[in-house]
Amino acid sequence: MSERAVLPGRPRWLDAFGALGVIAMGFTVWLGLWVTPPDKFQGNLARLLYIHPAIATVALYWVGIVAAGGSLLYLWPRTRSFFWDRLAASAVEVGAMFAALTLVTGSLWGRPVWGVWWTWDARLTSTALLLLLEIGYLALRRVPAEPAVRARRCAVAALLIAIDIPIVHFSVDWWNTLHQGGTFLDPGFKIHASASMSWTFLLGFIAFSLIFVWLLGMRYQVEVLQDAVGDQELEVSLTERWSEDTELVGVGVADRDPTPGGATP
Amino acid sequence: MSYVDAGYAIALATLFVYAVGLVLRRRRWERVLRVSEAPVTQGDGVPGPGERS
Repeated sequence: MSERAVLPGRPRWLDAFGALGVIAMGFTVWLGLWVTPPDKFQGNLARLLYIHPAIATVALYWVGIVAAGGSLLYLWPRTRSFFWDRLAASAVEVGAMFAALTLVTGSLWGRPVWGVWWTWDARLTSTALLLLLEIGYLALRRVPAEPAVRARRCAVAALLIAIDIPIVHFSVDWWNTLHQGGTFLDPGFKIHASASMSWTFLLGFIAFSLIFVWLLGMRYQVEVLQDAVGDQELEVSLTERWSEDTELVGVGVADRDPTPGGATP
Repeated sequence: MSYVDAGYAIALATLFVYAVGLVLRRRRWERVLRVSEAPVTQGDGVPGPGERS
């Protein structure tokens, strides 16, 4: 163990992020379901687009930045700290949930618009692969190992998973896919939506980003507590082992026959 | 229930359940840590480190 888990307090800013996220989410739902007009082409189905791209953004970019960044900073000798390892692990777990939500909300939109729940489209497949890789990372993290070994192993795994992120992002450009490219903003950043739709779309991004930070902070606290309990258990087992060894040595000394050859007079 | 309602319901419910799960996990680990930090009652006859039996 090179670094003990320092128990976190309950930071105020984290609760503030949570409160702001819940408020922003409430407004997003209210605007998305009741205030914004139906889309000219998609009708009410466009309302799913106030949450689906925002969820996907978190699953792909925010999680990718935190997990890959944290892993890199852990592997870099100058910045090596279990803080980065725990942060990356927390991001991957929260990210797996967001990746699953991305697939589910996308599927709910795709069924009435494309006519299928699922298709082996490049964007969908690479996103599903991301989810599977994240689940694999979480399984790898549960494999018993020294904390430093586990952290190094997981950091390498996170960096390998990060390779999938540009693939997901550019999949709509690299392959001829069913999933459309950027429809909200064109390359010249010209917005193709009404003001209320644009603001709701933006608010959705803010709401899910705030919720992500809040969940990440909470998950990080759980990770620190788990490590602290692991440290305690290790300490207790080492103490027990030490006392057992001491006892055995004591018994060995007491039982040893003082005469050579074992013949007692 | 429409696809839109289902999408919003699933997204919000998942976030809510996950957040509650994190709070419960945090409490559980806090409890485990408190228990593991509690001093062991002496008198079981096992000597501690540095003690002689």
